[in-house]
Amino acid sequence: MSDLVYFEDIEVGQAQRFGHYEVTREEIIEYARQFDPQPFHVDEETARRSMFGGLIASGWHTGAMLIRMVCDHAIPGTATSGALGFDDLKWLKPVRPGDVLSVETTVVEKIESRSRRDVGTVKVESRVVDQRDQAVMTLTSLVLYRRRSGS
Amino acid sequence: MKHFEDFRVGETGVLGAHTITEEEIVAFGKKYDPQPFHTDPEAAKATLFGGLIASGWHTCAIMMRLSAEAMRRAQEAATGSPGVDSCRWLKPVRPGDTLTLRREVLETWPSRSKPYGFVRTRAEMLNQRGEVVLRLVGVGMVRRRPGEAS
Repeated sequence: MSDLVYFEDIEVGQAQRFGHYEVTREEIIEYARQFDPQPFHVDEETARRSMFGGLIASGWHTGAMLIRMVCDHAIPGTATSGALGFDDLKWLKPVRPGDVLSVETTVVEKIESRSRRDVGTVKVESRVVDQRDQAVMTLTSLVLYRRRSGS
Repeated sequence: MKHFEDFRVGETGVLGAHTITEEEIVAFGKKYDPQPFHTDPEAAKATLFGGLIASGWHTCAIMMRLSAEAMRRAQEAATGSPGVDSCRWLKPVRPGDTLTLRREVLETWPSRSKPYGFVRTRAEMLNQRGEVVLRLVGVGMVRRRPGEAS
């Protein structure tokens, strides 16, 4: 019997804080060149003249940094099996080179699956904050957890 | 240039395609989403998914890439996004899948205080079998035509 955290073990209201992600200019540009080559993500000179006043990370890059912190700190030891998606994602504040990001999560709901006995869905509110504790991105994820009884 | 005033509710477009490789899936997985079903073709076989699948955040990134290319072709005066209403990863994306982006404009409204407007769109990524693998409803900001903003 493993001591993984299964669907049955999750409680609404559980909160966690984790992660330390240093955002670099090089990584912002590297991600954006591959996936989001808008001028304010790839070119510092153009970014300075944009409404953002300087280089900012692609919002999707912030999402990718979030899932990296989740993989490093929140998933180990749990019986998660991916996610269905997310709702209500807000990019609240630009992420800039030199920012240091971390994550606060809260379990807000558990949903039993009607069609599958082996997994359940856990709704998790995540807040990505910078070094000044200001939220840069929030979203509600729908995470799949395996059930102890179905395993 | 395509400004806020030029977007029409109901307008649809197919905005490009991308074939995803095993190398791309593993590279993204190792950098941002290191779970066995995204990083290790052998270990992935033993998971719920039965083989390597792309990170959902990778599929979103490819959607953004196809959108950015389409925005550049159409010279859209896009200036970022406040967020996404909903995103669902409906089917696994596997090596060799060809993903096509389809977009429909759902709603437009001007900002009351800023020289841009908001455009709500539904984006769907379809695979080569026509199955929707990702469905997302999100909002973009588009600059107003010079002289139109009040």
